[in-house]
Amino acid sequence: MRLGIRVIAICVLCSVSAAVCTLYAIERTILLGPKTIDKAWKDNIVLEPRHFMDAHAGDIVTVYNDNAKRIAQGAFQNPKTWQGVAPEYGYFGINGPFRMVLTDDILAIAREHGVAIGGHDYRILQVTLSDAADYQETMVWNGPSVVMKDDWSANAEIPASSLATLRVGDGLRLHVSKVKQGAAAKLMDFTWNVIDPSVDGVPVGENGYTWYIYDDAPLLKLAFAGTGGNVAMRIGGTGYKLDGIGIVRQVGEVSEDYSQAQRAPREYVLQPGELFHGEKVYPLDWSGYLKLTAAPFQESTENDVLVISYTIDPQAKAAGITPQLSFRSPKTWGELTGAAEPIAYLLDGTDVVYMFDSVALDEVKTRGLVLAGIGFTLTKIELISAQ
Amino acid sequence: MYLCSVFSISMAMKQLFFIKSLVCIVLILSASSCKAVEPEPQPQPVTYTLCNANATAEVQQLWAVLTSQFEQKAMSGVVANIDWNTREAENVYQWTGRYPALNVFDFINIHASRDVNKQGWLDYSDLTPVTDWYNAGGVVGCMWHWQVPANNGTNWTCSPGTEPGLTSFDASKVNDPASAEYKRMIHDIDQVAGYLKKMQKLGIPVIWRPLHEAAGNTYDFQGGKAWFWWGAQGAEVYKQLWRFMFDRLVNYHKLNNLIWVWTSQVGDDTWYPGDDVVDVVGRDNYYALQYPLAKEYKTLKEKYPNKLITLAECGNGDEVDMSLWSKIWAEGSRWSWFMPWYDYNYNNGTSDEHQFVGKDWWLDAFATGLVLDREEMKQLLKK
Repeated sequence: MRLGIRVIAICVLCSVSAAVCTLYAIERTILLGPKTIDKAWKDNIVLEPRHFMDAHAGDIVTVYNDNAKRIAQGAFQNPKTWQGVAPEYGYFGINGPFRMVLTDDILAIAREHGVAIGGHDYRILQVTLSDAADYQETMVWNGPSVVMKDDWSANAEIPASSLATLRVGDGLRLHVSKVKQGAAAKLMDFTWNVIDPSVDGVPVGENGYTWYIYDDAPLLKLAFAGTGGNVAMRIGGTGYKLDGIGIVRQVGEVSEDYSQAQRAPREYVLQPGELFHGEKVYPLDWSGYLKLTAAPFQESTENDVLVISYTIDPQAKAAGITPQLSFRSPKTWGELTGAAEPIAYLLDGTDVVYMFDSVALDEVKTRGLVLAGIGFTLTKIELISAQ
Repeated sequence: MYLCSVFSISMAMKQLFFIKSLVCIVLILSASSCKAVEPEPQPQPVTYTLCNANATAEVQQLWAVLTSQFEQKAMSGVVANIDWNTREAENVYQWTGRYPALNVFDFINIHASRDVNKQGWLDYSDLTPVTDWYNAGGVVGCMWHWQVPANNGTNWTCSPGTEPGLTSFDASKVNDPASAEYKRMIHDIDQVAGYLKKMQKLGIPVIWRPLHEAAGNTYDFQGGKAWFWWGAQGAEVYKQLWRFMFDRLVNYHKLNNLIWVWTSQVGDDTWYPGDDVVDVVGRDNYYALQYPLAKEYKTLKEKYPNKLITLAECGNGDEVDMSLWSKIWAEGSRWSWFMPWYDYNYNNGTSDEHQFVGKDWWLDAFATGLVLDREEMKQLLKK
């Protein structure tokens, strides 16, 4: 009898455990920041392909962030082409963590080149990868479908009853079809005002669009519409057909094992005179470069010098490559001094001190410069005045 | 005796030679000293002449002020928030307690003006924003992001191309009165002429800047090209279009209240429509650092010595923030006026900081004492 009870108990435990394992998958960290994505689309970080080797279509990449300005935008890009990995990921507003659902197409890119996270005006704290099972979706509106016309005049009226269970942290997923190039969605409250600046004309792809809610403000706007059949939300846009809406809720757990996580390069606060401080890798294929604008050189004279600090790539010697750098014009990529051929500064471990002649000085004050090179990691650039 | 005589003659000759030499030296010295005291040739004062000989009295008055202040002080300016308002001017007032002198309106959305489109969302035929500004002492400017139907037949755009959202609108059809493009151009120019004529009737002079940035980045890098349809067919077509518009507005519509501003991309001299149809040469620059700005100013000033030179658009760019006006002026730029671009997000309340230039920039500009605000321009214009 006791043995029987034990067997039953073990069986029950096993089944509960299995159910829990199925229900609560693990969200694991694949990148640890911080990584600042500053203004003007200049910054990005590439998630390494290794993170995606065991991933599946439907799995979700989440980018946790802070310091997002109200105009902040995010992007998931193909590092090979710098285009969005799918139309809906070319750019989007940021209002809390943002996510990307992996598809077979995206996975193909990610496994070959990785995925670049870019945009402007926010800071990446952490990037995670979750199984599709971490998110459960409940369909709350199934049409009738609405075709979003080219002139943005159409909209779907979503009753309050469909959104009654929506809460902070949930995602509202638009199920779409007949998506045209340039398709975009606009999510409005019942007064026709956009419900949040981040959903005013967001790109819509074949996989629709999911809006995650991170504060009470939009929920309050929905609540103003009342309950039941009252129209609480209007979903408009252009270039797609809206077929349904689901509420997506995260049910997984977060792993605190960071052993496999990629680390963002350390970020430094620039000190006076520093034009760069960090780790900028110049690979062994001449693909590395750093562009400096003309701004820090506006009051420079020929008495100023640039001091370049670096560490040599230990693999360069084995590859038969001499680490070197050169100073180029941002306009022509030719030699900064106007010489016909780029002047190579061979790197031996000591700092490079660059003195301006009149031509180079005029160019850096007008357009800035490009630091090109091979086989080293740039660590610091200082502009020092001899005066 | 002979000897004596000879000696005497010889002495006399020597004396004569000496005297001659002395006279010559004195004469040479005298000539050179005369030359030295001659006044240095003074540079002739530049005469800035309006290209339209029939310009209204109000235009001439504004022109007189602009030319008298040129290279002494700069007139401050702003552009409307997209089209038909003085929203940016209000920003400047809130930041500094002073209004900029110039407000530039944009005819970008004339297709959506309620006088021609019942579904439109603004009304250019209602001049209230313009008259309010002018009556308060402000200088009025108008520019035109001339939108035409996109290839998809629904959108409106200035951007040339074959994709659905762009336009294949062919500016060379300005020479083909039977073409749809020609009819569209006439239609649109006449619509704008109607608004400008209303301003003329009210005695409002207008700084008029159409067809701007025509060369795009043609001269910036290999593969560069025009980014507006009016430049897409090249310099010759562009100049024909400019003159076509000039003729239509000045000669056909008798609009004499316009000061014509052509916008240079620097290095695009072959695109210049001509002294007879241009009053001011402008430059739009969003890499607005003091050093390159001073170089560009100097280049334009040398190329167009009889024209006012202005910084027609400016502000922070993707790569750099605009230099403070005090530094720009100190570097040697003497732009006739400046006009930072508008920030829709800031004006819409969805951004906390102005994308192009904000409070600190404006405070610095006015603090130089070399920037004219609306009140100062009002006094200069004796309004």
